[in-house]
Amino acid sequence: MTIRTLLAGTAAIAASPAFAQEQVELDLWTIDDPGEYHYVMAEEYMAANPEVTINLRTVQFPDMVNDLARAIATGDSPDITYIDNPEVALFASRGLLMDLSPYIEASDIVNAEDIFPGPLASVSYDGGIYGIPRGANTIALYYNADMFEAAGLDPDAPPQTWDELYEAAKVLTKPEDNVYGLAFSANGNEEGTFQFLPWVQMTGGDYDNIATPGAERALTLWKAFIDERLASPDTLIRGQWDSTGTFNAGNAAMSISGPWEIPRMSEEAQFDWRVALLPVPDTEAERASALGEGDNVILANTDEPEAAFAFLEFLYDNMDRVWNEFGYLPASEVEVVDPKFPEAYAVFEESMQYARNRGPSPDWPQISKAVQTAIQSALTGQATPADALAEAQETISDVVN
Amino acid sequence: MSAPTSSFRDGRGFDRILVWITLGFLIVFSAFPLVYNVIMSFQNVDLFTLASFDRPFVGLDNYDEVLTRNATQIIVRNTAVFVVLSVAAQLSIGFALALFFQQRFPGATWLRGLFLAGWIMPGLVVGGVWSFILAGDFGVLNWLLQTLGVTDDKIFWLSDPSKSLYSVIIANVWVGVPFNMILLSVGLAAIPDDIYEAAELDGAGRVWRFLTITLPLMRAQLGAVISLGIIFTLQQFDLFAALTQGGPSNGSNVMQYWSWELSFQDYRIGQGSAVSVLMILVVIGVAAIYVRSTRHEHAA
Repeated sequence: MTIRTLLAGTAAIAASPAFAQEQVELDLWTIDDPGEYHYVMAEEYMAANPEVTINLRTVQFPDMVNDLARAIATGDSPDITYIDNPEVALFASRGLLMDLSPYIEASDIVNAEDIFPGPLASVSYDGGIYGIPRGANTIALYYNADMFEAAGLDPDAPPQTWDELYEAAKVLTKPEDNVYGLAFSANGNEEGTFQFLPWVQMTGGDYDNIATPGAERALTLWKAFIDERLASPDTLIRGQWDSTGTFNAGNAAMSISGPWEIPRMSEEAQFDWRVALLPVPDTEAERASALGEGDNVILANTDEPEAAFAFLEFLYDNMDRVWNEFGYLPASEVEVVDPKFPEAYAVFEESMQYARNRGPSPDWPQISKAVQTAIQSALTGQATPADALAEAQETISDVVN
Repeated sequence: MSAPTSSFRDGRGFDRILVWITLGFLIVFSAFPLVYNVIMSFQNVDLFTLASFDRPFVGLDNYDEVLTRNATQIIVRNTAVFVVLSVAAQLSIGFALALFFQQRFPGATWLRGLFLAGWIMPGLVVGGVWSFILAGDFGVLNWLLQTLGVTDDKIFWLSDPSKSLYSVIIANVWVGVPFNMILLSVGLAAIPDDIYEAAELDGAGRVWRFLTITLPLMRAQLGAVISLGIIFTLQQFDLFAALTQGGPSNGSNVMQYWSWELSFQDYRIGQGSAVSVLMILVVIGVAAIYVRSTRHEHAA
């Protein structure tokens, strides 16, 4: 610490053109493994900017918040890190992230207006912009067109509304063949909230207004899927990836999940799979979808704010590559030339316009927990959907206020 | 301690050094975290105040909060069921196996050694294997039960809240049996054969010999195995993480998993600490029984 201050001091005194090419070191934490997004980008950036060295460290996704909080407490935090989007408010509200808005205003590359509203909301907190989305994802309805045809449904007219989804699931469920109509995730963790919240948002509710008739209708429908065995009871303890695995294996006719499934699905699914927008409560209802993926943020105590932001600009500038090379959607208005899986891309790209942020709230984990508890207690029959949601609302109101 | 080099020779200072090393280790690695945990349970702690001591004290609020939650009752009940059933089954199966391997048949010692495989496997691996066995739609156990005609419908071992706790118990019993068996085998081997021979000459049958010789002489070992079993069972975390994550809807949640959830998922670290303090009180009680039962052993 003292040595660093001393060095910084000397550097400032000795500042002269000869030092313009001074070496800059940036510490970057990521959830990627070598060969994935941050590693590829950092390598390209270092090749183009030899004066910059980026030290990458892989942190497991579930450990990121804990490790980061510990590193901040011990003064050992990185300059740049990846954060899942509902956690941005958690760190920003405590003054731990650098407000990028002055840098963005001065930037020729990043224009906040080009970022889609959902992703932009996820990095905004209290008037500031605390990160730049590295990409985005959202959820939609995958369906097995072959099974649609076999069951006498039109594969070109996938379910548009909740009622149609329910009817289709009923027709498609074939217990004798081990086929469920629908696969989704009501897991007791963030994934459950991620999947459920869009259903609430389509009916006009949101995380802070969850004990609504619309939310009750959604939860009742979810309960019907499980109770009538149109979806596996394991939906309660299974994540999206494993649930969609059963779709790929032909044991579910439809699945709600995101674009991260496509690489595996294109290899494993031996049938005509297609994607449709998430069904809405009624034909006139507004659309909503989940917003996933995370953001590149700069820690408030970084020594190299300019260099760190320059790297973020570079990442943003390469947004058009994320779909084809890294498997998630652009978070801003860019043209993706020759996208892979063009039909699926078109659906997810449209869905992106309806993707809504979770929060923002500095206490998001507690809010999310309340939502998960409501889902699980209603689906297991421990509480009625209305009671479960009322209890969640009580907890959430306590947290929000 | 004033002149360690000189007192090394008479050996008295050396004793003290040994005591201080042990004590120092215990203070740094046991007493400090324990006390720190107790302090945190009276404070309002979140992720970002974890490293500083300057946190608001909230009295008994954390305890009040965790004891009045809707989930509390079910979690406490689950913990009791989990401990009692796990320990009872581990002990009886372990004891039966120990007695079985006490019969000297070819390969007995080898087979007994192989039983330890379950004990040395990491909990997450055991959990992974059991989740294959217990899976609802494509589980091995359901396939077996349906093939044998025991049941027509699939049983959702892990996602049915009335069954998920018992699924974890089954896996935990499997993990704990070898340890119980080995410890009890050692005790059985220490009972001299001539006592049994004398009893046999006097006309005591197998059951009578077991009740009047084996059980009384195994008292210390049984006490130790039961208390260690309770402590290990209260520490069992990996299986919950791998099998059910305490769900669905707290159906298989127990205090140790809840404490972790509160601290590291909800970031209500003060409340998580309060739950672990409550557990420490239970463990202290069990540890006292354990110490008493081993003291008995030394006296004998």
